[in-house]
Amino acid sequence: MTDCPREIDCRTAVQQLWDYLDQELTPERMAEVRGHLDRCADCLPHHDYACTFLAALSEARERDVRAPDLLRRRVMDRLRAAGFSA
Amino acid sequence: MAIDTRSGTPAGGADDQRGADNGPGRPPPERAPVGDSGTAETGDRLVSETGAPSAAPTETDLRFEAEALPWMDDVYRFALSLTRDASDADDVVQETYLRAYRSWHTFEPGSDARRWLFTITRNVFLRSRERERRLVDLDDGDVEALNTFAAHGQMVRDGTDQILSRIDLAPALRRALDELDEPFKSTVLLVDLEDQSYEAAAEILGVPIGTVRSRLFRGRRILQDKLLIYARDAGFTTARRGQRGSTDD
Repeated sequence: MTDCPREIDCRTAVQQLWDYLDQELTPERMAEVRGHLDRCADCLPHHDYACTFLAALSEARERDVRAPDLLRRRVMDRLRAAGFSA
Repeated sequence: MAIDTRSGTPAGGADDQRGADNGPGRPPPERAPVGDSGTAETGDRLVSETGAPSAAPTETDLRFEAEALPWMDDVYRFALSLTRDASDADDVVQETYLRAYRSWHTFEPGSDARRWLFTITRNVFLRSRERERRLVDLDDGDVEALNTFAAHGQMVRDGTDQILSRIDLAPALRRALDELDEPFKSTVLLVDLEDQSYEAAAEILGVPIGTVRSRLFRGRRILQDKLLIYARDAGFTTARRGQRGSTDD
């Protein structure tokens, strides 16, 4: 058994780049993509670009959105009409 | 917006290993889960015609209060993202909670209540729009990923890759998200904004993980295309390699 990940080509790395950034790959495949990015000057800009995009997308979440008080009252009214007792 | 009240609640999903990871912003329970008091939990409840609460809340209702109601902000935000209309979002949230309450006996204790509520929200939204859930058969995710980064490669070659660094991305992305069609929008919202895993999004959307993956990657690519259009409309001209920095407005 070796600690060195299998070397993958650019096409394979790019196919798995979103999965890699989403941390949806197995540890072995994560290591393969990471290893490729460490040594491939062509693929690294794709990685950086995708990171920038995903960070901005995450920031686009409107975190301060709150359910309005009137909506909360309506929800509770409908629940109680359906028998909610708490 | 007319709401179809047919059942659309999901299974409990108790076997989910990622259930404990609800992403950021998880509110603390408003009330700690209540221990077993011996109350029969059949899903049936006393109905108060006046809407007034019964004298003593049932254990089931206390659990619903503690585990489902704290997610109302998240459900509202998700509904608002889907509908882009506050009134429609109100309707979706009310219907979501009504369905959730009626189906609470199917919720598996200890599983992810937020995910369960998102599934109901999505179903309520789709039924309200009378849309078919599985709208598009897509190429697989690998092809979508390759297309995305091939497009980026072209941007690098023609010098437009720096455009995105010159605009305020958050409002541009919010606008692009508003315009994004289903089923891509729900998938991007769940994974990229609500921090759901592919597996969780698949469960919420009722599609295989491979479909989530292809929809997600396609959605991201559409958003990137829209951002470029937005940047160009905002007055950022195409920069040629070697001329970057001389074309800023």
